[in-house]
Amino acid sequence: MPEVLVVDDSKVMREMVVACLRPYPDSRFTQASSGLEAIEQLSLKAYDLLVLDLNMPDIGGIEVVEFVRGQDQLRALPIIIVTTRGDEASRERALGAGASLFMTKPFTPDSLQGAARSLLEKASDEASRG
Amino acid sequence: MTTPGEFAEFLPAYLAEVDELLASAQRDLLAVEEAVRRGAAQPRAVRELFRALHTIKGLSAMVDVEPIVSVAHWMEASLRVADQAGGRLPESSVEPLVEGLRAIEQRVRQLGAGKPPSPAPANLLERLEALGPQVLEAAPREPRAVVLDAQAAFASKLAPSEREQLEGGLAGGQRAVRLDFVPSSERAAKGLNINTVRERVAKHGDIVKVLPLSGAAAGGASLAFALLLLTHSEDAALLEAVGGAPATVRSLAVAAPLAPPAAGPSAPPPAAGPSPALLPAMPGALGVPGPEDDLDEPEVRRGGGLLRVEVSRLDEAMEWLAALVVNRSRLTRAVTALTAAGAPTRELAAILQENGRQLRDLRSAILRLRMVRVGDVLERLPLLVRGLRRTTGKAVRLELDVGDAELDKAVADRLMPALVHLVRNAVDHALELPDERLAAGKPPEGLVRLGCHARSSGQLEITLRDDGRGVDAKAVAQAANAPVPESVDGLLDLLCRPGLSTRQEATSTSGRGMGMDIVRRIVVEQLGGELRMETRKGAGTTFTLRVPLTVTLVDAIVFECAGLKYAVAVGTVEELIDVDALKVVRPAGADGLGLLERRGAAVPLVSLERLLERTAPGDAQGARGTKALIVRQRGEPVAFAVDRLLGQQEIVLRPLEDPLVRVAGVAGATDLGDGMPTLVLDLGALGAARVGRRMGAARSGGWAS
Repeated sequence: MPEVLVVDDSKVMREMVVACLRPYPDSRFTQASSGLEAIEQLSLKAYDLLVLDLNMPDIGGIEVVEFVRGQDQLRALPIIIVTTRGDEASRERALGAGASLFMTKPFTPDSLQGAARSLLEKASDEASRG
Repeated sequence: MTTPGEFAEFLPAYLAEVDELLASAQRDLLAVEEAVRRGAAQPRAVRELFRALHTIKGLSAMVDVEPIVSVAHWMEASLRVADQAGGRLPESSVEPLVEGLRAIEQRVRQLGAGKPPSPAPANLLERLEALGPQVLEAAPREPRAVVLDAQAAFASKLAPSEREQLEGGLAGGQRAVRLDFVPSSERAAKGLNINTVRERVAKHGDIVKVLPLSGAAAGGASLAFALLLLTHSEDAALLEAVGGAPATVRSLAVAAPLAPPAAGPSAPPPAAGPSPALLPAMPGALGVPGPEDDLDEPEVRRGGGLLRVEVSRLDEAMEWLAALVVNRSRLTRAVTALTAAGAPTRELAAILQENGRQLRDLRSAILRLRMVRVGDVLERLPLLVRGLRRTTGKAVRLELDVGDAELDKAVADRLMPALVHLVRNAVDHALELPDERLAAGKPPEGLVRLGCHARSSGQLEITLRDDGRGVDAKAVAQAANAPVPESVDGLLDLLCRPGLSTRQEATSTSGRGMGMDIVRRIVVEQLGGELRMETRKGAGTTFTLRVPLTVTLVDAIVFECAGLKYAVAVGTVEELIDVDALKVVRPAGADGLGLLERRGAAVPLVSLERLLERTAPGDAQGARGTKALIVRQRGEPVAFAVDRLLGQQEIVLRPLEDPLVRVAGVAGATDLGDGMPTLVLDLGALGAARVGRRMGAARSGGWAS
């Protein structure tokens, strides 16, 4: 039962992301409206996937990725960055900081779901191989 | 690309969110303009504006609204440059940005009305595109730097606009402190998490930056948040806001600004300009848009825990509640019967009493859902005044003193046009031009002050005061072709005459659009409130409006009977039918009552005209109407004949509260928009009160074809 943390300061955007991923079997969703809230959530509970917006108040998505990758227990957490056209310049920095995938709005439900599926399956393969 | 319609179901939520973003963007842009006029930077407002446009662009791309994407894209691009340049915008950029917001708003309205959005105006896009280079040119060469002793972690993470903000705060006498908050499950369970802590801390000052820390930096905790705050508050108050120990507060020693910034080793500034959302530390004005002067300290975080709900859903909840109340009275009757039969019902009665209280609480909770903050309702007025300043060439300051009063959304929606008109009038007609004011010994800048507070009577009192020239009674009398009124009430009556204008020409702002007559109609006839005026020549005019905090909205069928209009709640009418006079049977002894056939059953037909005693009792015409409304009366259908159906509309029901006027069968009065009071009938009660017995007689007369 994958636990997914969806982080965006726009409520509509979070709901769109959840709607895209909902068909993935048995996933459970937690929403956070800021990067800080996401970091707090990650410290309180284990998640299998992080879907992260780049542009948020206080600290942006890239800073969240940097922080997450600095934590031993979160080094392997799959992270999908979802961002808006025009942010492509951030792509290198996000991937460099350790994001797993970078998606640009607008995206289709299928593309986001496919990305989530492949990351989750890869993570569970690695876990089963030990 | 998204195929159109992929996210169509999100359109209503999208429109609601963009609406909220636009409202905060407009406020931020006003704050920016204020700052620009003073030659100051406005880093937070610029950052918030940038983020709002960025979000609007992303969302619009998801729901495939290309015109909004284009406008938002170019606005965002120039704002990104401004944010990175420390929050400075050139004066020339304000107007295109205002137009950009307006263009987005227009398209949101179109979408809301189910229309396709117009394409983005090419000329506007060009001007917005040209902004980026202008902004860059206006940016200061050397970004100012603040050095925080021994706080390299912060120093290296601060974006230029955040440095600017810190610098401005320190120059303004605030001190910089670092507050550390340690989250935990226990604290989260008590409602203390980074979001709530942030909100609480924001009441004490301006949060410049928040950083997550772990390991040694977190002081042994697995995670801590360090908040960099500009504040006037004492340490103890700050510590309390973050929930006490293990939170810590330390003052940051701040050296004089130096260049270059003492950044950490080659740490790049965050590209996207992280943006704290801040609450202003305005005493007594927390959480409401303050006077316009304070707009450079805007409340920029909003809508956090807000949910938009269609009013019809609330009405539905109210209907379910009504069903519960009916059920409860059945239960009460049943318990009374049990008690009478000697059953032990003491506990049952106690539960029932508790249940009654809960139903009342539920009712007021549902009613409260319809309340909106007056401050939120009025947030567009500063933008209106800004526009008026430009079009009239008058210097004017708008002061809002709205407190935290709340108002029914239905009242707010109706009241707003009246307030807009009064503010326009005040600026356009009442205030003098700066030269004129100086000559009259007044400050060149005119003042329009809007204050409101809730009164214990369940009314909201709104005062709109200007320090302009006052109403010229002679000119008004001349324009109205009437004698000069003796009292100020008489003067207000004249001003409220339809079509009155003391101007020879319609002005571009007040136009000849809505006059004072409409203001009075909204306030007095539609909302059942009061409108008063005080005016002193040369000193100014004050309008005082009193409106109920809440009104009852009813979907009504409007019809005509004996030359008068009436309304009746749609919910009480079971069916509308045509009456074929030839098929109406009039049994003897039924006193003129008729019977008509409806799906094989006899239904009594009552003449509303007679019921309302609009005809002489001797007139034995009986029911002549060609249409009838079928209403249930004690479970039995009864048809009320009327002359003509005029349609269906939403009305504001004003209950007739005066016991002397209260009549069985009359639910209240309303204004249908024609300025005439119209009675809202409760046909069930009306029939029951007047014809119950006669009807029984008619029914026993039987159906004979």
